[in-house]
Amino acid sequence: MNECDVVPIGGYPEQQAEALFFLNQQGEFSHVNEQFTALTGHTAEALLSRSLAELVDPDGAAAVGQVLAYALHGHGLTFDARLRTAAGTFVRFALTTFPQQPAAQTAGIGGILRLAETAQQTDSAVREREKQLSIISRTIADVIFVLKVETAGQYRFLFVNKAFTDTTGLRGEQVVNRLVQDVIPEPSLSMVLANYQQAVATKRRVIWLETSNYPTGQVVGEVCVTPVLGDDGECCQLVGVVHDLTAQHKVEEDLRASNERFRYALKATTDALYDWDIQADTLLWGEGFEDLFGYHLESNPSEFGQWSDFVHPDDAAHTVDTLLNTAHQTTRNHWQQEYRFQRADGTWATVFDRGYIIRDEQERPVRMIGAMQDISARKEAEAQQQRMAQELFAQNADLQQFTYIVSHNLRAPLANARGYAQLLTRLPTDSEAFATSLGHMQTSLEQLDIVLNDINDILSIRDKPAGRQEKVHLSSVCEQVRQNLAETLSASGGTLTCTIPPDLSVVGNRAYFHSIFYNLLANAIQYRSAERPLHIEVEGGCAADGNKVVTVADNGSGFDLDKAGADVFQLYKRFHTTPKGRGIGLFLVKSHVEAMGGRIEVSSRVGEGTRFTLSFS
Amino acid sequence: MKTFLIDDDNLGNYLTEQLLRIEGFSNTIQTFESAQEALETLQQCATETPAVIFLDLNMPIMNGWQFLDALVPYESRLRGRCRIFVLTSSLALADMEKAKTYDLVAGLIHKPIDSEEIQAIRSQLEDEDIV
Repeated sequence: MNECDVVPIGGYPEQQAEALFFLNQQGEFSHVNEQFTALTGHTAEALLSRSLAELVDPDGAAAVGQVLAYALHGHGLTFDARLRTAAGTFVRFALTTFPQQPAAQTAGIGGILRLAETAQQTDSAVREREKQLSIISRTIADVIFVLKVETAGQYRFLFVNKAFTDTTGLRGEQVVNRLVQDVIPEPSLSMVLANYQQAVATKRRVIWLETSNYPTGQVVGEVCVTPVLGDDGECCQLVGVVHDLTAQHKVEEDLRASNERFRYALKATTDALYDWDIQADTLLWGEGFEDLFGYHLESNPSEFGQWSDFVHPDDAAHTVDTLLNTAHQTTRNHWQQEYRFQRADGTWATVFDRGYIIRDEQERPVRMIGAMQDISARKEAEAQQQRMAQELFAQNADLQQFTYIVSHNLRAPLANARGYAQLLTRLPTDSEAFATSLGHMQTSLEQLDIVLNDINDILSIRDKPAGRQEKVHLSSVCEQVRQNLAETLSASGGTLTCTIPPDLSVVGNRAYFHSIFYNLLANAIQYRSAERPLHIEVEGGCAADGNKVVTVADNGSGFDLDKAGADVFQLYKRFHTTPKGRGIGLFLVKSHVEAMGGRIEVSSRVGEGTRFTLSFS
Repeated sequence: MKTFLIDDDNLGNYLTEQLLRIEGFSNTIQTFESAQEALETLQQCATETPAVIFLDLNMPIMNGWQFLDALVPYESRLRGRCRIFVLTSSLALADMEKAKTYDLVAGLIHKPIDSEEIQAIRSQLEDEDIV
């Protein structure tokens, strides 16, 4: 037995048996052991004198030749090769070859055969890749799982990554190798099974959103299940990835909640919010605008004119112009104004408008966000308060006037009466002075009575400011007064022309109008000029502003308006010495006119005449 | 003693005149129904300056205050020779206060004047040696 036979067989009897083979210099088998036969099925007898190249699959045959040449030159080598077994199939093996008797020229080649799967010589690149995959699967935040598709719609977990166990709180052994229905509870189970089924059936990826409650909290995820097809083209595995959208979902949810709050705030506010795109010059309105002013917007955003055209013309200058000026000519951010804004029904709302102008880096105006607040009710209340204050003021003035009347005009005749009563006791009863004084005392008492009646008249107007309201035809009242005064008028040699249209009427108190015409005409007769026959002209009509206007003009003696001033209509103010007036007529006229909401003005020139102008809305 | 009565109310003038006569206050009493008339008389005849003027306040055209204002230029001539008494039916305190601001006004009397007031004025004038 030569060395070649002894060394390999007897050399390692106690060691784990390896499959050994020996080749001669031509690469033909000279010997194989039992382990070799066990791995390949080939017996030593069958292989004798057959070359190794014959067993190697044709693709690898060329490589084998080189390896063997290498070994014959004294170098050991391990290589992969697919060898045909005795059964006729190819099996991958790792072959390690080394020179036998390297010094001898006749030496052959020894070899060890191992199954490639158990070979220690694993491809390092593959190992590296596996390692990387493992790192990725452990560190990736997305949940990854692999399901084995079994029959009857059953799915078994083959693999889950670290994110899976972290997220679900389940340990790996609670999941892997278990059926999906034993891991996932209802109601999620039905949904995922349906989706798995769809992926299997369609062989396409299925994606859905899922909200699940895990021990670590609620997770909103995008689940993506991809089918893996086997050699038979059927789906054998499903690879699932769950991308955690919880944070993103929360942002969206917060945004939605914020938008919702804003929407409800819009509903809650009675203001008309707007967003003015200054470059495009359009206005985007909140729903308050239509509610507040009754408009139906044809389009939203609307043209700028939807706002500017409805600002009251008298307010436009300090509203529209200042807004445009603030936006374009200044760098200010705030603008606010109070103005009147026309409602859809044509009425005017008083509006308080406040806006914030957004500017770009060059301070150019970009947008303005603002709100129009309807303050009409508040304004009305303020105006009401103002009116009340004025009424109070007027009443106070009346009270002062009343004190004046008491002190001067009531007390004057009373003082005279007292004086005469005192005087009479000291005069001889048969004297002429006694008779005169007695007559004067009677006159004084009559004057006292007249003043008391005047006061009664005045107070009755004040107590019932408007009296009974009716449609009063002014021409008929004027005609009635003319008849009452006809005798006095003709006695004075005067004439009266009344050109008030018969249909001109004012809503008021007929008795008041009677008093007005009576006092004005009586005044005209009383203060006629001695130098010319009296002529009175009464005219009436409608003014451009819709007011009813009546003028009573005479060519009488007139008076100095500069001196009389505000006293013309004052109670017990007189501007003539003769003949004697009581100074109550014009006061009553003014009281009656104002009680019916009208106004009275006077113009007069000494020696030319006097003209009274009355106007009623 | 020359006396002027200025009052647009002739009943008032007649009453005051009769009372003054009964009391023997004055032998020369001149009545004016308008303040303007009285002013013109005062301006024209410096020699005819009355020792006493009874002046009403509430009159048309020119009231008592306007009359007093119009007299301001003649104050130096009148001072010490002419006493003006406001004779009014007004009880207003404001009138009382205002009257005190005029140097020529010697006092304010509420209508009607009575004999005691007339005697008081006379004795006041006698003390000042005007009569």
